[in-house]
Amino acid sequence: MILRTVFLRIVLFVAAWWVLTQGRTDSWGVGLISIASALIVSLILLPPGLFRFSFAGLFFFLNYFLSQSLKAGIQVALMAVRLNPDLHPSIKLISLRLPEGLGRVILVNTLNLLPGTLSANLTSSSLCLHVLDERQPNEAQVRDIEKLIAHMLCVELEES
Amino acid sequence: MNDFNLLLAVFLLVNLMIALMRVARGPTDADRLLVALLFSTTGVAILLLLASAEDTLVLIDIALVFALLAAITGAVFARRAWWPEEEKDGNS
Amino acid sequence: MEIPELLSIIFLVTGAAFFMAGTIGLLRFPDVYTRLHVLAKVDNLGLGFIILGLLFQAPGLMAALKIIVIWLLALAASSTVSFLIARQALNRGVAPWKAKEQKI
Repeated sequence: MILRTVFLRIVLFVAAWWVLTQGRTDSWGVGLISIASALIVSLILLPPGLFRFSFAGLFFFLNYFLSQSLKAGIQVALMAVRLNPDLHPSIKLISLRLPEGLGRVILVNTLNLLPGTLSANLTSSSLCLHVLDERQPNEAQVRDIEKLIAHMLCVELEES
Repeated sequence: MNDFNLLLAVFLLVNLMIALMRVARGPTDADRLLVALLFSTTGVAILLLLASAEDTLVLIDIALVFALLAAITGAVFARRAWWPEEEKDGNS
Repeated sequence: MEIPELLSIIFLVTGAAFFMAGTIGLLRFPDVYTRLHVLAKVDNLGLGFIILGLLFQAPGLMAALKIIVIWLLALAASSTVSFLIARQALNRGVAPWKAKEQKI
């Protein structure tokens, strides 16, 4: 299980280096050092064994994320050029059902790129969200993403 | 095609100059930092356009460094330079 | 004009339009939080479209993959930084702008 995680991460870092050097072979000396340090740092910051990774979950998550962030960009761009932007910003507190850890980090970061939401603070039990339009069902949106992330990382949602 | 890329790069540059008005207006330091972030996003776009137009692939590497430095700038600003007053020791 | 070239131009122009909207939003929106929305969403989408347009001009698969990686890094960076700035602004007590105050 742990060996599998380490192996997957090495593959990921080697692939990243390979892409960044565009397949050139003359810099692999630096590359090996970089890959080794990246692996060590990643094992310290994100110890293996806390979650599994579902590729089907990743697909559903990316699909949702790309379509929604396209919608978000268009929506805010239209607001910016409209004569009356019709902003109704507000701060909402939303309780989180994802367990602490990587899942929440992903949630906070993706919410920034999704329609109308901006994460503004994260405590152990709840998320402070700045929303562009308080009349929108932002909480339902957060619930949807929580479900997708939980599926992707194979973790259970807590009852709140 | 090359001329078109150059034209777009100039357009984005002008766009960036106009955004500098936000630096002048502020009102908070965070508003000013926003423009620094805009510089990195737009800078990446401009460098990639130029790399494609001039066929100078080294510009792509510069764009990469731009994207990474933006993350560090923002994080350092938020964690160090703009820390809440009450948490600084001895001041105010 | 060939079709890839035409698509490239369409995507590049779309991207530039988003960047312009982003600048307008940055100047017009009332407070630091709403401006962060603009920066995180509109400008990253603009960069996404520019990169999509450039993919059609890329000399090879490796070059294309590389600029996609750059886009992902830029996305992650600006999303994280947006969160850090928003949190710091809240901690500092920068009050969010409210629609009602504007109408009175």
